[in-house]
Amino acid sequence: MIVLEITEPGPLTSVQDDGRFKALKHGVAASGPMDRSAFVQGRNLLGCSSETALEIAAGRTAFVVRGGAVRMACSGGAFNLHVNARQHPWGQAIALNTDDRVEITPGAAGNYAYVRFDREIDVPRLMGSRATNTIARLGGLEGRALVRGDLLKLVPLTGTTKTPCQKGGARDDRPGPIRFIWGVHSGHFSPALRRNFISETFVVSQRLDRMGVRLRDPTGVFASRPNLSLVSDAVVPGDIQILGDGTPIVLMRDHQPTGGYPRIGTLISADLDRFAQLRPGSEVRFSPVTVDHAHSICRQAHKNDLD
Amino acid sequence: MVAQTQEDGSTSLPEPLRPLILPLGDRNLLVRFGRRLTDSANKSAILAAKILSGANLGGVQEITPSLISVCLRYDPVQTGFVQLSNAVSLTLSSAGRAPEMSAGTMKINVRYGGEIGSDLEDAAAACTLSPQEFIAAHNSATLRVLATGFAPGFVYCGMHEKRLHIPRRKKIHARVPPGSVIFAAGQTAITATHVPTGWHVIGRTDFRNFNPANEPPTKLAVGGIIRFSSDMRE
Repeated sequence: MIVLEITEPGPLTSVQDDGRFKALKHGVAASGPMDRSAFVQGRNLLGCSSETALEIAAGRTAFVVRGGAVRMACSGGAFNLHVNARQHPWGQAIALNTDDRVEITPGAAGNYAYVRFDREIDVPRLMGSRATNTIARLGGLEGRALVRGDLLKLVPLTGTTKTPCQKGGARDDRPGPIRFIWGVHSGHFSPALRRNFISETFVVSQRLDRMGVRLRDPTGVFASRPNLSLVSDAVVPGDIQILGDGTPIVLMRDHQPTGGYPRIGTLISADLDRFAQLRPGSEVRFSPVTVDHAHSICRQAHKNDLD
Repeated sequence: MVAQTQEDGSTSLPEPLRPLILPLGDRNLLVRFGRRLTDSANKSAILAAKILSGANLGGVQEITPSLISVCLRYDPVQTGFVQLSNAVSLTLSSAGRAPEMSAGTMKINVRYGGEIGSDLEDAAAACTLSPQEFIAAHNSATLRVLATGFAPGFVYCGMHEKRLHIPRRKKIHARVPPGSVIFAAGQTAITATHVPTGWHVIGRTDFRNFNPANEPPTKLAVGGIIRFSSDMRE
């Protein structure tokens, strides 16, 4: 039996799969990887379609492989990878032997890294998914982030998970403004505020997690926001919500299923991965696009996946 | 935009049913019935979710009702916003009568007041009722499950009669346990997990709406009818 022994859990390491979809009607967000395309990239590196991977947040994370050899691929951002204290390139598939010690530390870029194996991480499927939802505390290993001493069984792939996967989905890593679509409440914000929202620069704050990314608003774009009483409504990843104190927060994969704060817009899905990887202190600007434009990006990416 | 109850108890969609259809990013479409939580807006949302779920619309991946809206998650490779909006409008406007939403009333036993319902007296006083009168009024209401949201298995039930409409508390409870029966804004909600709340905690129930190991994981569906009871003998 092959087992991963977590020796350094890092700030937030969790088991993820594509996500727990169709659970919103039960009050559960889909969760899944913060950087979807990086998560899928690991499948391509290994030439398999394994469902699960470890999502690692920026911090020292280490584990030891026990009980056999396994192949591993690391993806997402630019982290440092050491195996038995020897550096290996990031973003490649490598072979690990029994008792190999793997250490991942933050590198040049990124908040989230993915570690995938040519095996499945053996945690129970709950509501159709193994993804950890850190706010609802379900899925993954006991619904929580990994801690030192956790043992994760790695079991052989079965069925279609053994076959290669080539789908990456839309992603655009070119620097530039994060694109969004004006939101269901954007009409409640004044034209002046909306103009400022797309001309001013925001900063990714230290307060970010799988639930949301709080932004600093150094020029006070939301200092004079409308005071709204809204009926609680559906929330989706990428929603830019303005809290009661004027703090903008971009909701991420472990968002609450519904929310009552006004939302000025929603990030397009092609830019959500890039946004998730922006480190605290990064400057960010927002640029509005139409739904049709966002869709053309999705369709082009789909076509590229098929080619 | 009002759902009307017919003499035979069935509910028909109002003619014409014209909700506001809005994009929510590039993968979700929101079908919203008004801006305020009213009985008819909620009924329309629940009915629309039911009709749209049965319509097998191309490209739609998930349909989720909320208090006054329905959210449709879709695959932009398979459909577009205009195409899907048109399909939604057409489906809703051509829908016939929908069957009555609920089969039977579920009774939910509640232990009111005391340490597990520490806001009962405040809530009763805000309604200018004694705690006993408040409990009687709370038990006499037949409520609809308006929506599931906020947290796993968390249900909003309403609407209470006007004299029971009180605002939220000024101070938030940082964490209330599963089974908490909480009250504000003309509604009673039942928690299924540990959550923070600004609502009045009036009691607790052994009823647990959420178990992720079950299929379906929630016992109450939107549109279901419930009654609270302080009679613990059954």
